[in-house]
Amino acid sequence: MAEYVIEIENLVKRYKELVALDHLNLAVKEGEVFGLLGPNGSGKTTAISCILSLLQFDKGSVKVFGTEMQPDSYDSKRQIGVVLQNVAVFEELTVQENIDYFCGLYIKEKEKRKQYVEEAITFSGLENFRKFYPKKLSGGLLRRLNIACGIAHKPKLIILDEPTVAVDPQSRNRILEGIQKLNREGATIIYTSHYMEEVEQICTRIAILDKGRCVAIGTKEELKAMIKTGEKIHLEVWELKPEQLEEIRRLRHVYQVDYRDGMLEIRCSGGKHNLVHILDYMTTQDISFGRVYAELPTLNDVFLEITGKELRDSAE
Amino acid sequence: MFFRLYFYSIRQTVRQKLIMFWSLIFPVILGTLFRAAFGGFMEEEVIFHQIPAAYVAEEGASQTFAETLKSLEEDSELVEVLETDSGKAEELLKEEKVEGIYYNRASDIEEGEKVTLTVTKQGMSQSILSSILEQYQRVFHTMGQIGRENPSGLKAAAEVLGRQRQYLKEGTISETPKSAMTDYFYALIAMNCLMGVSMGLQIAVGFKANLSDLAARRVVSGTSRYGMMMPDLAAKITIQFLCTVFAVCYLMFALKIPLGNKFGFILLTTLVGSLVGIFLGFFIGAVGTYKESVKEGICVSCMLFSSFLSGLMMGNMYRFLENNAPIVNRINPASLIVKALYSLDIYEGYEKYTQCMVSLLVIVAVLGAGAFALVRRERYASI
Repeated sequence: MAEYVIEIENLVKRYKELVALDHLNLAVKEGEVFGLLGPNGSGKTTAISCILSLLQFDKGSVKVFGTEMQPDSYDSKRQIGVVLQNVAVFEELTVQENIDYFCGLYIKEKEKRKQYVEEAITFSGLENFRKFYPKKLSGGLLRRLNIACGIAHKPKLIILDEPTVAVDPQSRNRILEGIQKLNREGATIIYTSHYMEEVEQICTRIAILDKGRCVAIGTKEELKAMIKTGEKIHLEVWELKPEQLEEIRRLRHVYQVDYRDGMLEIRCSGGKHNLVHILDYMTTQDISFGRVYAELPTLNDVFLEITGKELRDSAE
Repeated sequence: MFFRLYFYSIRQTVRQKLIMFWSLIFPVILGTLFRAAFGGFMEEEVIFHQIPAAYVAEEGASQTFAETLKSLEEDSELVEVLETDSGKAEELLKEEKVEGIYYNRASDIEEGEKVTLTVTKQGMSQSILSSILEQYQRVFHTMGQIGRENPSGLKAAAEVLGRQRQYLKEGTISETPKSAMTDYFYALIAMNCLMGVSMGLQIAVGFKANLSDLAARRVVSGTSRYGMMMPDLAAKITIQFLCTVFAVCYLMFALKIPLGNKFGFILLTTLVGSLVGIFLGFFIGAVGTYKESVKEGICVSCMLFSSFLSGLMMGNMYRFLENNAPIVNRINPASLIVKALYSLDIYEGYEKYTQCMVSLLVIVAVLGAGAFALVRRERYASI
């Protein structure tokens, strides 16, 4: 087995004038949960389609399990499980039949397939719905069925393209836990999403995509270390004079201060005890304040600093 | 693998209520309605009887035509001739006691050309009366010409023409009582075969990743595209064929429509017709990147238009096209199916039937080759 399960080099994909993938370079190691994070239209699904050899691309190369991926690379394809963004199951087949159908495209032995189908049903929590037709399932259960159809054959590489879109919190948690379980059992996962919390929760390494380019790659800690923001402090302040705002701006490690609608947001670059210093200043200046909280930077902050725009806003 | 996917495809297709309604139920409903609408006409014509005709001869008119009619009345039992005067004949025609009046006027030049036929409506009986007169005039004209140009050959010519008349009589009158209304049922069977377009379309859509998510999931799986497509194709052909067989059996055995006595060949025709329907839909589905709904519309339009041209809505459409645009009848699948079924019923030999079947198989081959070539493309410019 190659060290890298997927190697993408200089991948370029154009839709007429629009550059969907702009010299994309990625390498996914065996055993990783690799996150592709980016707003809608950033090129995540296009990259997945190129990896799966569904899309023609203009330039570059895609290797899966060490070999160039082609439409007829059935040896490689048999080791891949795909959960596409939209639910893709047969409306006329029951839950069990759907899983058996798709599992059967990879596993020929009847007994082995039967066992795998049962395991997939249990894994996705669909035991009580095996005779149900998809249209009778809720959105969350349908998503679970979609995942079960993609992973029933126990692939070595699982590609999940936004599997939690329009899913209730309960199903979402179950899906995320399931993905981590699959990874623990040995599968390499590629997970695309524009929900940064999900990516932070489950991914061991993350690539941030914007306009078809990989703008940052690394573990979440590495990504956060790339940016200036080390800590964000929020204070509810009812009244603040401009000179006081200026003095706060001059405090140690503070590099950005925003005061809007009675809420003061202070961004600090690294350092320790920033909150203590700020509260100390507020007390000495006799400035009344209400709620106070501090937070570490999120991937949204990483995205914001690198691209100059909010991940959430871009995703909307 | 093949049979597992085949049975899944069968299961998945028969659970589609809309598809099954159009392929299985609709032809039965339409056939029943046709039977109810044409029932009276069919019974009238199926029980063949002599056609009553009046014969009015002026004084001095030749007796040749009268003798011909007498021969047809006594030997062939084709017509029932009532010799009368002009006034009485018109009265009988008005009262619909006769289907037409033959007038034999003793005037000018050549005999034969003086005989005319008067009818007040159009139908099978009137057509037969007209054919009798046409044939008589043609023979008489030929004999007159030979008599003028080569009198010594008259005897030989009479023998040849006599044999020709015998031959024509045997060739055109089927052993099975034939109704013009049966053509509508042939057209209905043809339409039923072509209803396979919807199933054919599903096959193509199911393997074009740029048209459906399901196709994308199948295409990226570990089984080759053809490995999945062939069982699907076989399953859809099986279902469409069985639906058509059901319709044919219903028409023949429940509604007692006289479709002929070559049941095996009728089924063979519906099998090839079903292939045409499935591959037509498969081809339409494989061409271009239009949405499935647009392609569905194109499929239904093709099926209905083809059926219309074969005479499903207007009985004389086939003959109209044969006179004005015969090429349409040679390439229109529904017309070819109708003609194949008609040929089985009418002709003793299989020459015309074989021609139709070969044409249908050529259409299947062209559509199939085109569709496979188009779905063969495995990477898409956009999804």
